[in-house]
Amino acid sequence: MKVLVAMSGGVDSSVAAGLLIEQGHDVVGATLKLWGGVSDSGCCSVADVDDARRVAQMLGIDHHVFNYTEEFERHVVAPFVAGHAAGESPNPCIECNRHIKFDLLFERADRLGFDAVATGHHAQVLSRDGQHFLVRGADDQKDQSYVLGYLDEQHLAVLLLPIGAMQKSEVRQHAERLGLRTWDKPDSQDVCFIEASKGREVFLRSRIELTPATIVDGVSGEVLGETSTAELMTIGQRRGVLPGRDGEKRFVSRVDIAAQRVEVGRLEEILISTIHLDEPSLTFSHEAVEHNTVVLAQWSAHGRPQLATLRHDRQHERPWSLQLHAPARPVAPGQTVVLYRANEPEIVEGAAIVTGS
Amino acid sequence: MSTQYYFDHAASAPRRDEVAQAMARWQHGVVGNPSGSHRAAREARRAVEEARDDIAHFVGAKPGGVIFTAGGTESCHLAVTGVANHHRRHHETTSIVISRVEHTAIIDAVELLVRDHPSVSARYVDVDSDGVVDLESLTMALSPDTAVVSVMTANNETGVIQPLDGVHAAVKESMFEGVVTHTDAVAAAPWLDLAAVTAPIDMISICAHKIGGPVSAGALIVRGDVLLDAVVPGGGQERGRRGGTVDVAAAVGLATAVRLTMAERDDVNQRVGEYQHQLLAAFRQLPGCVITAAGASRLPGTVHVTFAGLASDELLFLLDQAGVCAAAASSCSSGAAVASHVLAAMEMDPERARGSLRFSMGAETTEEDVVALITILTSVVDRLHAES
Repeated sequence: MKVLVAMSGGVDSSVAAGLLIEQGHDVVGATLKLWGGVSDSGCCSVADVDDARRVAQMLGIDHHVFNYTEEFERHVVAPFVAGHAAGESPNPCIECNRHIKFDLLFERADRLGFDAVATGHHAQVLSRDGQHFLVRGADDQKDQSYVLGYLDEQHLAVLLLPIGAMQKSEVRQHAERLGLRTWDKPDSQDVCFIEASKGREVFLRSRIELTPATIVDGVSGEVLGETSTAELMTIGQRRGVLPGRDGEKRFVSRVDIAAQRVEVGRLEEILISTIHLDEPSLTFSHEAVEHNTVVLAQWSAHGRPQLATLRHDRQHERPWSLQLHAPARPVAPGQTVVLYRANEPEIVEGAAIVTGS
Repeated sequence: MSTQYYFDHAASAPRRDEVAQAMARWQHGVVGNPSGSHRAAREARRAVEEARDDIAHFVGAKPGGVIFTAGGTESCHLAVTGVANHHRRHHETTSIVISRVEHTAIIDAVELLVRDHPSVSARYVDVDSDGVVDLESLTMALSPDTAVVSVMTANNETGVIQPLDGVHAAVKESMFEGVVTHTDAVAAAPWLDLAAVTAPIDMISICAHKIGGPVSAGALIVRGDVLLDAVVPGGGQERGRRGGTVDVAAAVGLATAVRLTMAERDDVNQRVGEYQHQLLAAFRQLPGCVITAAGASRLPGTVHVTFAGLASDELLFLLDQAGVCAAAASSCSSGAAVASHVLAAMEMDPERARGSLRFSMGAETTEEDVVALITILTSVVDRLHAES
């Protein structure tokens, strides 16, 4: 098969390319140039492109750099900024995977005559009865099925995930065996367009004015403090929130940028049992799941999946929601929730963006 | 790669055998330091001075005005920074005037000066929709504190030739004293008679690898009494204008390439000029193809076009698969094709600019290359239109 491998310069995609070559595929590497600005983290720096190119040279395959900086700005960075300005907590990596890697790159690969696209994600594609399913990666610590949760049959049918069945240690062993210079490169963890040394606040301040707000106890109305950056407060977070006078921990329960008000509460006061889903963003890997289906819902990259019932109430203003079987800390609007099957907890059923909880 | 059709001379031209042979003598065994006094040094010095004579002749300047550098970027940097630094040591304010379509070697040098020195400012000269410098805009940009004006001889992306006579006239008519003019002639060097077209300009930058010589070899040529500070001092070489031991092999390589260019220029211009017509006539028939700067006078070796609805990345990928080496003209340090500041200065619609391609030819280009390119590009464009 003619395979286009998305190479980030990291060890996972390098090994993915190496294994596909060993399997006899006709492999071409491509690195996506996404962020036009300064970067010291993530997968966009010139050094990472250099690594990917050098790995491709060592493997003896062609390597191309595809420029998606404009699309990245439009689909990822601008919505990230706009989301924060509206008091939401968007996940830029998911938007990047969705709009850039798995829309634009797949379309391009098809136009350029490739049979399949491969990436170095820790997730697997299961083929069963003529259908393809996204399955969690074998390495629990590294599983990335969450960030790929909205892939559907059309994508999955032409997607290869060569390292998804491996533990990270096996990946590194392969890298060493293949003589790849990235074999001991640390994993990238951060958002590529935010300099790790400066953080989210510095980045957002370069784009928007951040809003000062009063931190208020949501129940008593008591003023507990101030923040100069309401946009950085994430619903459910405790970090940066001082305990109340009673010494008990407080969590953010509501962020109202316009009113310059952040509400906090004790854990038992803020727990939620319903998560509302954004209908246009809701995707299912195959046919839509029926009303009242029990699923496992996960709303952060390495969060613990929670049992929930997916409800579809057409009469309701927000028709799709998740009824949690056990109360949970509130989930910030803008976050993505991925649905796994309750009876086959490794298999992804769909994904959606949270509008509120 | 079995067959290769090389259409990226403007990025780097094929190395000439004659150049490699001439340089070989100075790349092994004892090579004296040209600044020394013994026989080996004298021999090296002689080779350097002969090279200097050839280069001076190439641009119609005196040998004493030739400053050897490590390439076009350094030459441009030295011209702009050297003159501006000298000026700002003697004046309260200093302004630098450059066109918006200059190579980043010039733009970045100017931005660095402005960043580091509060007394230095930059003024940018507009271009028309063909990328030709607007002389009225240039006149407006000039001021009594202007130290240096830099306008390239021809643009490296589009091949558009700039009106250097007009630049000189505008500076002269301004009556401002001491304004030094510079032209980046790197892209024009294979094609134009630099002694003629740059005659009224004070400083000229050239480099070797666009004319079949080695990379990291170039020169800044200064006419008359231009005052400039060395950017890299130390050692006093090149009359104190560029420190460091002169690379004899590089100087000989540049001079050899210069001699070959002068000897062959008329023939190559005529032959490649015909190829350019052939390509343009064929490309015009392709869906969505628009010729860039069609109304301007352009170098014979450059064919710059845009394809509506297609992306450079994809065109280049398929061309590469078919053995054609071409460029989107503008690339960043990662190797990705990036939005071109030249096309932006021409106010080209960014959507159109996304589908831009540059094919650049040279002395080695053959009829067979041209025929192959037309066939391959036609099938690539058809295929991308069929798939999208």
